[in-house]
Amino acid sequence: MAKGQKWETRPLDFWNKAKELRAGWQKSIESKEKVVGQGNTFDLSFDWQAAFPAVTVIEDNPVGSMMQNKNEPYARKARLASEVRGWGREICGYQGNCWGAQFLGYIDDGTAWPDRKFVIPMPCVCDQHAKRGQQARDFENMPQWMADRLIYFGEYDEEREKPMLEHKVYCNYRIINDMERIFGQQFDEEECAKLMAGSKEVREYSREISYLMARTIPSPLSVKDLYSVYTIGGLTKIDPDATVQFWRMVRDEVKWRAENQIAAVGNEQFRFIEAHPPSWHYMKYYRYLEQYGAICLGSEYSHGAGSNYEVRPDGSIGLRVDKTYPDDMEMTTREDIIRVGSGALARPAGGFKTNEYIYRDRIVQFAQFMQADGALLAIWRHGVGCTLTRKEQAMYLRDAGLNVIHYEGSQPGDRTDLDEKRLLDQLDTWMESQGLRKVTE
Amino acid sequence: MITAGIDVGIAYTKAVVLKDGKVAGKACGLSGGAKRPANVQAIYDKALAEAGVKAADVEKVFATGKGKFDVSFADDRLTEVVTATQAAKLTTPKVTTVIDAGADEIVVGVVEGEKINEFVLNQKCAAGLGLFLESMAERFDMTVEELGALDGPLSVTVNEGCVVFAELDALSLANRGTDLKEIGKALNEACAWRASMTINDIYKQNKDCVVIMGGLVKNGAFLKALERIAGVKFVVPEEPVYAGAIGAASLAAAS
Repeated sequence: MAKGQKWETRPLDFWNKAKELRAGWQKSIESKEKVVGQGNTFDLSFDWQAAFPAVTVIEDNPVGSMMQNKNEPYARKARLASEVRGWGREICGYQGNCWGAQFLGYIDDGTAWPDRKFVIPMPCVCDQHAKRGQQARDFENMPQWMADRLIYFGEYDEEREKPMLEHKVYCNYRIINDMERIFGQQFDEEECAKLMAGSKEVREYSREISYLMARTIPSPLSVKDLYSVYTIGGLTKIDPDATVQFWRMVRDEVKWRAENQIAAVGNEQFRFIEAHPPSWHYMKYYRYLEQYGAICLGSEYSHGAGSNYEVRPDGSIGLRVDKTYPDDMEMTTREDIIRVGSGALARPAGGFKTNEYIYRDRIVQFAQFMQADGALLAIWRHGVGCTLTRKEQAMYLRDAGLNVIHYEGSQPGDRTDLDEKRLLDQLDTWMESQGLRKVTE
Repeated sequence: MITAGIDVGIAYTKAVVLKDGKVAGKACGLSGGAKRPANVQAIYDKALAEAGVKAADVEKVFATGKGKFDVSFADDRLTEVVTATQAAKLTTPKVTTVIDAGADEIVVGVVEGEKINEFVLNQKCAAGLGLFLESMAERFDMTVEELGALDGPLSVTVNEGCVVFAELDALSLANRGTDLKEIGKALNEACAWRASMTINDIYKQNKDCVVIMGGLVKNGAFLKALERIAGVKFVVPEEPVYAGAIGAASLAAAS
């Protein structure tokens, strides 16, 4: 792009709608009439909990993140409460905050910690997610379920996939049946089938939005904008129909902006990527860098954990086409529904933990997909989005021609090690070393 | 053309007045804490006096360093790596790597033509090496120059990962009666190891012509140890302490 070029920019129309939906969610979780569960969703590709009309799931990642963002002294106190119970300082900050709140017995506004009735941690092969459920389960004496996360290294293997897929279906089937039995709630299969159709539609919109962000110069949407609505329908659970309508609205607007060269950052001159969830408690750096004409397009994390795009055998990059069940597959039984909802692949889409070089290869592909000039890679001290392979990724990104910097912090749910002044100094240096200057000075 | 550059570091402020590309006046003094803006003004006035010019004669003033925003009268403010690179290019056009080792920070930049291809700042744990050596010199009742002259084979070592631990080691050795000069050697060596880690953090290194500048350069033992550890022969500009300010003044002239 030509240096110093300016594009038209304008506020996002979906912004206010997103605010309204978030407020609705907040109200719904304050309702005392529901069976409230904690944890991340299990291994179904749709928001299954809505098929239990009286069940609400509160995800601990955003709750822990919000604690840090809204009330720093409280978050510190909560993490200390976790530490004195024996949990290490280097555990995930989201969990340190959430467990600490459980131990303290109150949340950041001083009201009582709302008891959960069950916990379902996110399935994951090799990290601490299982522990998250165990702690909550033992402390509140409630049931815990956890689907197994299935992986194998290498190319897709049909023979291996078959039994693994059966096991995945079994895990999901068991969770739903157990919940019915224990809580006396009826799982609504009809509603569930509807949810799956809606989720599929939302996924397609999400992929299209990623594609438009990546392939359009100037980008019609920055990741800062995307993160403001990112959780709607997922972590921020709202009415399924409203979810579909909302994401259609977002897609339409992003598409219109791309067609009409309406930029997210009017002076876009430098496109950069990340490799992790950002410091949720310090997202100011996105806007700070926009003063230099630098736009952040996010990380694999922000684009369906890398599942929104794919590099094809001929080297071209495009929207991912997953192996799926036929659209007309019959769904007459609960098992059929769960089978379709579990997806046609045992392994997670996007190749998460499927080959030993996944981190370095995927981030280079991602950078190419996003047409990025640079990368800002955090070195977290510990916890979520930890620094595994971060330096190695930088090496490969540099070989691919990107300008890379690292910055030190704690992690997205714990700002202990983030030195704001130092980070901003580094960002100034990063930009100025490439000849970019702030436009608003 | 007369321009000025002011480099407001964490410990010292350096001001330079350039007249047609030549240093006409320079001054250096403590940056100070809350009094930093007043100190900056006084140091700048001193440089102007040495150059024999008035503030009104100076066409442009560029500021750099951690305290650059305390120079209220600056026409522009630039980051350290940019001014350091400019300063290095002035004296050593073939420069491939620039190192600015100051009181608080060590920054390494790889220069490729007009571009700074890659730069690395020290990690937080390696911050303040210059300040640390200065404070240890004071504690051992030495001048910075005396500490910087302590070179040679080591009989003791101190922690090279963290200056807090290094200080504990040093005090512990002193309490056990170890010769302070021997401890001083170990301190210089430990800081050189820590600084070398920042150099090694550069991915695409080019050590063909490495220019080093900043206050730490005054410590000869540190510099010698760093050359040995990093495997580089450094080029030290004529005015290593003023280099940032010279770079800023030069960029002001070019703007």
